Amino acid sequence: MAEKRKKLSKGDIVRAFWRWTFFSHANYNYERLEATGLVFAYKHIIKKLYGDDEEAYIAAIKRHMQFFNTEPHVGGIIPGIVLAMEEERANGEPVTDEAINGVKTGLMGPFAGIGDTLWQGTLTPILLAFGISIGSQGNLLGPLVYTLLMFGIMFPVAYLCWMKGYELGKDGIEKILGGNQIKMIITGASCMGAIVLGALSAQFVSVKSPAVIVLGALQMEVQTAVFDKLFLGILPLAVTLLTLYMLKNRQMKATTVMGILIIIGAVGGALGIL
Amino acid sequence: MTISTGQAVAIGIVYYLGNIGTPWLSLLGSISVVYKPLVAGTLVGFILGDPVQGCIIGAAINLPYVAFISAGGTAPQDPGLAGTVGTAWALAAGVSPAAAVTIALPLGLLGTMIWVLHMTLDVTFVHMADKAAERGDLDKICFLHVVPPQLLMFFLCVVPAAVATYFGSEAVQGIIANLTGTPLHILEVIGGLLPALGIAMNLRAIGRPGTLLFFMAGFVFVVYLKLPVIAVAVLGAVIAYFYTVLSNQPPAEIAGAAGVADDDEEDF
Repeated sequence: MAEKRKKLSKGDIVRAFWRWTFFSHANYNYERLEATGLVFAYKHIIKKLYGDDEEAYIAAIKRHMQFFNTEPHVGGIIPGIVLAMEEERANGEPVTDEAINGVKTGLMGPFAGIGDTLWQGTLTPILLAFGISIGSQGNLLGPLVYTLLMFGIMFPVAYLCWMKGYELGKDGIEKILGGNQIKMIITGASCMGAIVLGALSAQFVSVKSPAVIVLGALQMEVQTAVFDKLFLGILPLAVTLLTLYMLKNRQMKATTVMGILIIIGAVGGALGIL
Repeated sequence: MTISTGQAVAIGIVYYLGNIGTPWLSLLGSISVVYKPLVAGTLVGFILGDPVQGCIIGAAINLPYVAFISAGGTAPQDPGLAGTVGTAWALAAGVSPAAAVTIALPLGLLGTMIWVLHMTLDVTFVHMADKAAERGDLDKICFLHVVPPQLLMFFLCVVPAAVATYFGSEAVQGIIANLTGTPLHILEVIGGLLPALGIAMNLRAIGRPGTLLFFMAGFVFVVYLKLPVIAVAVLGAVIAYFYTVLSNQPPAEIAGAAGVADDDEEDF
């Protein structure tokens, strides 16, 4: 049908990456989340691939106006894959709407999981812990080094994921969905993330009891005599696990859980047990 | 220290630049950089003429939000408002970093209203974009994606933050003076509890078998072995590598280790 093959240049792919990197969440909203962000990133791509066919052009826009939400850096691999699929489709290959939607909806959850664990759950707290320890001394290198490391690590990661996605998309999606590479990455990221979160919980959740039990002449400090003997950091651990229990097992909203934490703090603080 | 109108507006703009999704510094530059009280506090310090003290206070205010996560369209706290207006108040009142944390906490709660408001109102622009999509008007969609939502966001961020900074700083000095003893202690206790929320939300997002066991390992590395977080991260990467390789072997080879991977999720 197309006499000349439509080809996306490297410049097109890179341009879409930067448009995504800066604008993915510019109209973030409860209904469709990053949907218009994706259309925005693909603007020149859609024009180039479907500009000569009005029907296909409108269909392509509508295709990406659907709900889409993932972690935008590591998860940028998905729009990368989809770029390659759209390129094939525009050249008359049998890439269906279902295939494109399937890749987007099927991968956005897993990659949001990997991405958020590595970026917000692991890298950010580590860099922050570093930056805060320097910054709290009044050294402006704290925020500066934090900022440079954040950009210096995340931009290359995001760029590589996006370009890798495009490459994978050209090889065929069977390869992406079939292999267990994604599963292995998720497993590894989850494991490392959980370990780092354990360390953060120990370092940053701070709960201790100033209570003193008086038994006649005997004075016993609850924190040092009881809790620290049982298990160091047992209170921060208990609070973190209780929070997780409320969020996960009781399916409570984060704001509700925060309200409960505030009540615990207020009551415990007022009674002098925390 | 008194804060001028211009300074208050500038602080409001810092808050806007850090809000999740503003495109000026990229998404990363908003949520991961200017949104963090460590950075926001320093910028506010520059505006008010004392970057070093701003940095110290920002670093302190950042502690409850160290594991802050925004995922799936939720933001349960607002470190951005706590880091900007909180630092401004603390500098104006000349309070200690510890007291700054406590006056910033309520701001971090109130700020979530701004998030909910913009996430809701922005839906309007998507519906307008739907209409443009019917006509194939791609330029209009791109316009709707950036200009109206960002004007709205600018208004929603700058006005409350500037007003709170300008009018709040004097009121806060009075409040701080009275905020001694039990009320201050309660705010400190709450500040110590709040990092648990971000950490638990991250753990929930992971939601994989073995998560709690690995979490416990990380916890023990710090409380008993006194390792710094960066060392735990390196150890974590090593453990994750071996765990992934081993758990990817054919079932027969890991028969002995299988129990470890399965029996943990039930507890919490």
